[in-house]
Amino acid sequence: MLKRWIGPGALTAALSVLLAACGGAPAATAPTTAPAGATTAPAGATTAPAGGETTTTAASGEPIRIGAIFDLTGATADVSTPYSQGQKAYVEWKNANGGIAGRPIELLSQDYAYDVAKAEELYTQFVGEGVVAFSGWGTGDTEALRPKVTNDQMPFISASYSAELANPENTPYNFLTAPTYSDQLVIAMKWALEDWKAKGNTEAPKFAYLINDSPFGRSPLLDGTEFAEANGVATPLEVPSPRGATDLTPQLTQIKDSGANYVFIQNVSSPAALAIKNARSLGLDVQFVCLNWCANELLVKLAGADAEGVVGTIPFSPTGPGAEVALNYAKEKGIDFGGADSNFVQGWTAMEILVAGIEKTVADGKELNGENIKASLESLTGYDTGGVTQPITFTATDHAGSKALRVFQIKDGKWEGITDFMTAE
Amino acid sequence: MQSGTFHSTYAGDMALRPYWPMRIRIILIIAIMLLFPWFGNRYWLNLVNTIGIAAIGAIGLNILVGFTGQISIGHAGFMAVGAYTTGLLAAHAGLPMWISIPIACIVAAGVGALFGMPSVRLKGLYLAIATLAAQEIIIWFLTKGDKIVQMATGDRRAVFFGESLSIPPAANNVFGIALKGNNDFNFYWVIITCLVLTVLFASNLFRSRAGRAMVAIRDQDIAAQVIGVDLFKYKLLAFATSSFIAGLAGALMAHYRGIISWERFTIDISILYLSMIIIGGLGSVSGSIYGAAFMTILPALLSNISRAASGVMPAFANYLPYIQQGAFGLAIILFLIFEPEGIVKMWRNLKDYFRLWPFSY
Repeated sequence: MLKRWIGPGALTAALSVLLAACGGAPAATAPTTAPAGATTAPAGATTAPAGGETTTTAASGEPIRIGAIFDLTGATADVSTPYSQGQKAYVEWKNANGGIAGRPIELLSQDYAYDVAKAEELYTQFVGEGVVAFSGWGTGDTEALRPKVTNDQMPFISASYSAELANPENTPYNFLTAPTYSDQLVIAMKWALEDWKAKGNTEAPKFAYLINDSPFGRSPLLDGTEFAEANGVATPLEVPSPRGATDLTPQLTQIKDSGANYVFIQNVSSPAALAIKNARSLGLDVQFVCLNWCANELLVKLAGADAEGVVGTIPFSPTGPGAEVALNYAKEKGIDFGGADSNFVQGWTAMEILVAGIEKTVADGKELNGENIKASLESLTGYDTGGVTQPITFTATDHAGSKALRVFQIKDGKWEGITDFMTAE
Repeated sequence: MQSGTFHSTYAGDMALRPYWPMRIRIILIIAIMLLFPWFGNRYWLNLVNTIGIAAIGAIGLNILVGFTGQISIGHAGFMAVGAYTTGLLAAHAGLPMWISIPIACIVAAGVGALFGMPSVRLKGLYLAIATLAAQEIIIWFLTKGDKIVQMATGDRRAVFFGESLSIPPAANNVFGIALKGNNDFNFYWVIITCLVLTVLFASNLFRSRAGRAMVAIRDQDIAAQVIGVDLFKYKLLAFATSSFIAGLAGALMAHYRGIISWERFTIDISILYLSMIIIGGLGSVSGSIYGAAFMTILPALLSNISRAASGVMPAFANYLPYIQQGAFGLAIILFLIFEPEGIVKMWRNLKDYFRLWPFSY
């Protein structure tokens, strides 16, 4: 008797849920009438600065929407989570400090689990809800969204610094807030060559890559290899580390056999830390150099004492007055980002740069649309991020806002700057 | 009240929809399909197009798994073949999609038949592993193919597949009519037409000799062989047909999205398609559509609920992404516990319940 009821009952329940979704969601996704409940408005947005509200006219008091996708549960969640917290915290902080000319910013954000299809769905949804700019995350999804971003004229920053995105001829609405992965690798190699010479070696060193097996991992390799060969280094060995691997000994053995002196890691912190620990137990004596996404405090936390001496190219320095504002705000609000200072500051600063473009558009009295925000961003010259990055400059022909970074090294469990700002030139 | 199914003509016996309620229902569905894009916004069009493509792919897989009983974990690989064939033809040869998509389907069918060859000797789990190999080989080829081209030409920057392959918008052309303007709206018609054709094909396939042979192989391959079904031929045919339709789904996705990368065709996607047909209903064409819709709408629904919830309970917001993933898994498990035969069975139960009410025995 019961069984007879379960089928129709479950179906009716499922149908009613679906109907509820169909009934509720169109309203929630309509561009003009998104109810507050359907958005992830940070607390700051709902408590928009009262002072700002009164000084502006009623029409302009409505929030400015920015869309964002983060990887909170997927393959790169370890670094994306602090990055997302940085972006959300910046929006909150900005709103508490008057917003954009009195208008609050509303950040529509959601986890996409490093899944390209999910990223597309969320992008479409947020665009439908009237966002004026977008903050993406990975290389794969940023690439996949390229045609849509261009078509929708949607100013887009992302945490992917693939060199392909820096040329406005192909990607007119993508902006890079950090040196491209290619530049980062070349800077890392420049440091390695100097370091090798400083150690009194005369013959050329040997390089190897240990990378995430994805577009993100492979993005800088061609440019890096060209630079290495131009400087008399043999073609570096390319070793992909499989996603979700729990032991990288086979990959490291391959590197050991190649006799590499410097290993450049283009991956996120967790697999990088695993590689460094495995290398130690394998007795592999190489200098690891981490690019952006593994050069952070998480690496130190995960690899512990084994991380000592690892070098990293950190495009967003977690020191300096700009970083202090972010970190102090986090402390004040009790935001726990797992000690990943540099990723938190990175998210904060990336959002700050995007907002700077929007702010400039508003200040110039222009309508908030993609074209105007793009023009405003392109006219940013020497935007000061408080020492987190070199001053940011976008032009109509170059969307790589920052060309220089400092090389850091882990000393006594802390990242310490060992060079001044370097460029790939 | 009806006491049974009676037909007085051969035409009546062969009709796909012999009763009036069924005809009214199909008319309603057609009307909704025709009216929907005029009212749906971009988000809904995107969602429905995604479901449409997934449904085509799921029907393709159901032909192989549900009807012929050959397990395949390489479905996403065959979709990749279709997507990359049409993508390369559009990008390098400048062919419009109405020419390149059929070519892509045929190529995918060929590749599917090739990888289907082990099915003659292998069954069940062993075949699953053989198709898993197909999946991995195809993805390996897509990720490392550039290396082969680079070694062959000596040009290190030579790009064939690339990390991602952009499809020129000019290729989005159907019989000389360029698809311009609202991409989601235009592709709705392309996708829905392909879906209708696929549904008609699949529904009729299993009323033909070939289709019945496939079903016979699923039910008992030795018995099928004894009554004269050529196992090798029909198993390969099933693989080819299934891959042909997978290729269609992949090719449509390529043109709709405008850019493709191997990341869209990983083993996760193969498993997603398997779960679609298991949840929708193995061996059912409509079940494939229900399954595709369920597996596309459920995550979107959960994501919307989680967004709504994070507005109400900000303190809770940090945990929502994990709960969302857990809820997805839970929903699937509950579905399988309460109706292992899939959504299509639930729909049937519901119809029976109302048809026989109040004497439901």
